[in-house]
Amino acid sequence: MIPYILRRFGAGILLALLVTLITFTLLSFSFDAVVRARLGSATTPEAVAAMTATLGFDRPVLVQYFDWLGGVLRGDFGTSLFTSEPVGPAVASRLAVTLSVVLVALVITVIISVALGVVAATRGGVVDRLAQAASLFGYVVPGLLIAIVLVVVFAINLRLLPATGYTPFNVNPSKWAATITIPVIVLVIAGAANITAQVRGTMIDELRKDYVRTLRTRGISTRSIVLKHALRNAAGPALTVLSFEFITMLGGALIIEKVFALPGFGTFAFNSSLQGDITVIMGITLFSVLLVVSINLLVDLVNGWLNPKARIF
Amino acid sequence: MDTRMTRSRFRCGIAAAFTAAVLFTSTACAGGSEPEEANATNGASSNAKLALAVTAAPASLDPAQLQEGQQSYVWGSVFDTLLYVDNDGKLQPNAAESWKFSDDGLSLSLTLREGMTFSNGDTVTAKEVAGTLERTRTTPGQQQGKLAAVASIEAPNNRTVVLKLKQPEPALLTNLALAAGVIGDPDTLNEKTSALDPTASGPYTLDKGATVAGTTYVLNRRDDYWNAKAYPFKTVTVRVIQDRTAVFNALQAGELDAGNVDPAQVKQIEGAGFKTTKVEAQAVANLVLADRAGTLLKPLADERVRKAINMAFDREKMVQQVLRGSGKATVQIFNPKGAAYDAALEGSYKFDPAAAKKLMADAGYADGFDVTMPATVISKSFEPLITQALGDIGIRVTWEPVPPQNAAAAVSSKKYPMVFFLDGLNVTQRELQNNFSDAGFLNPFGSKYPELTELITQVSLERDEAKATELYKKINAFVVENALDAPLFYVGTIWATKDGIEYLGDGSNTLSTIRAFNATK
Repeated sequence: MIPYILRRFGAGILLALLVTLITFTLLSFSFDAVVRARLGSATTPEAVAAMTATLGFDRPVLVQYFDWLGGVLRGDFGTSLFTSEPVGPAVASRLAVTLSVVLVALVITVIISVALGVVAATRGGVVDRLAQAASLFGYVVPGLLIAIVLVVVFAINLRLLPATGYTPFNVNPSKWAATITIPVIVLVIAGAANITAQVRGTMIDELRKDYVRTLRTRGISTRSIVLKHALRNAAGPALTVLSFEFITMLGGALIIEKVFALPGFGTFAFNSSLQGDITVIMGITLFSVLLVVSINLLVDLVNGWLNPKARIF
Repeated sequence: MDTRMTRSRFRCGIAAAFTAAVLFTSTACAGGSEPEEANATNGASSNAKLALAVTAAPASLDPAQLQEGQQSYVWGSVFDTLLYVDNDGKLQPNAAESWKFSDDGLSLSLTLREGMTFSNGDTVTAKEVAGTLERTRTTPGQQQGKLAAVASIEAPNNRTVVLKLKQPEPALLTNLALAAGVIGDPDTLNEKTSALDPTASGPYTLDKGATVAGTTYVLNRRDDYWNAKAYPFKTVTVRVIQDRTAVFNALQAGELDAGNVDPAQVKQIEGAGFKTTKVEAQAVANLVLADRAGTLLKPLADERVRKAINMAFDREKMVQQVLRGSGKATVQIFNPKGAAYDAALEGSYKFDPAAAKKLMADAGYADGFDVTMPATVISKSFEPLITQALGDIGIRVTWEPVPPQNAAAAVSSKKYPMVFFLDGLNVTQRELQNNFSDAGFLNPFGSKYPELTELITQVSLERDEAKATELYKKINAFVVENALDAPLFYVGTIWATKDGIEYLGDGSNTLSTIRAFNATK
């Protein structure tokens, strides 16, 4: 298993190198724009040349890339070209905001959708229809609309929860919980709709399989069949959907971050791209690739642990 | 095109476009002004608090890299400036209690006031002032160009700073009231942490523990600041919130005391007990006819073509439909509260496509011509209207997509003969520099007109304010009469402030300053 993990990590690092190299090459077309943005409107060709040299943009792109890479290996991600913030801590602090919303949302999504999906698949009838209706509701109602309604009710009218902003967990855990509540609910509604349908579908398929009948004939309790056997087998496809859901949530976090003014990863990435803050964009790209690679690896490992048949290591 | 769809698209677009303007225009300023006398009575004894929202996070706090616009709420509170611009847009003494130009206009002597200290307790002397100015003058960055006319800086004694100039510079005093005139501690300015938390002599210090770079800036008033009485707020929190709906929600939820709202939100926010203050103009939407000398696009060299372009737009309708009334139609590029603005010029180009087509025909372009313009985040929501208006007089527009970060560079690239740009209003001297000086950002092709050059030289030497105003008006009249640009409308803004806080700006002072807010309770 360890060689497998190492292999996957190696491939991940290779992917990260490739993606960052491509990103840097694409960004190199904007060097002049970045220099001019840093210099502002009243500038001279001499200042442009001096700034280009200060930022090292006059060197070959590959040299600059390896220079950046060397820094990364030493733990130095550079500083933002516009705010002078060190990129490593800046990305980490934004990632903490987004991850705390997305991870909490993901955990709740899993609990709700597994419970709902399993109950719907095993009970059928009214319960199933209700679960399906709830799932459909999550699909069709835009998350943004739910967000606005929740803000108006809980933040503006009742003043129970904040409308905007973020408090880090280590500063004040209860405030942290309050600041992420509405964003988490919005993400859960959309996420749970998707995963519930997935769990329900695969559970129904599993419960119809021969081995389930065999287990029943041997007198094993329904509870054990459902939780120990069928759910394990059904978990594979659901996990894959979940990993996609996680990546979608990371991407979709931009909208949530904007609506709730959360200083998250999505907004940071968006603004840095808009500004052409090359060092920040590079840091964000690297973190994103590594994050996605790690999530996929984690899902494969969990999948293998749940279902030995699915073990690819 | 379906009008309803157009409207809603533009409604969404205008906020985005303005945000983009703030992000990309170094001169973009959210309207601001100086407090009236009321502030003096509040003074340093007031413990009022202010939390306001801005759309763009402040860039570096390195004096050489400071950017104007809404970013100045933060740096303008941390740093002291040599001069300042008051409520009427007039220059006033600040850290420099007086100043004097030599007769030839080539030497400026500033006398500093006594009793100024840095946040670390050190005294502010001419040495630090000269040191900061010298560093800004020699460091490539946002502010270097503002001191381009300065040849050398001396500090003959503790309270005197002398700037020797290469040539007279009309915008110099204004620049010293803005970012180029901040005072830092030259001993610490080159330290790495200085760009995030500088040692400065302004009325506030950054609360490092509560500040999160790029998100929230908490400023604490220094009670040992020489003019603390002019700052009624004990703490000021500047929050970066890009989304207008989020600002609106945060205001209603009591998380903000002041913020910008859309025209459609005014009734609701007033219903929630907020006071709204409308600033009619804080940016100008201008179809910059950059290649007016006809280097790339010959027709633009013809005055009749430029006039025809000016007559192709129904400006009033644009203001009503696009800005929902939060703005004003105009044919001028200068700040309506500034010296150059002349209300009499507004009637110069009435919407008249038929007459415009005739002018085009007279100029030999009866069949029109093609033009490529950069499609940027700024132009996005206005493109259909511009395409249609110009199409109606035979000018066929092709929009070339430009990545967001290149929106400003597209202007200076000399690739586009015409550019739609939203430019933050400024003091007249700055606007003149920006639009018509050789190195002006909005004059990429460096076009020159002898009459205009002569007027600009005259105004740079003019020390008499009334006469200077007269010259500025002449310059503006020349610009409008010769249709050097096709300005379309001013974009305004609306401030919502909660009970106990008032916004004093009317657009005269374009610097975003905490002093535009007053505590009434």
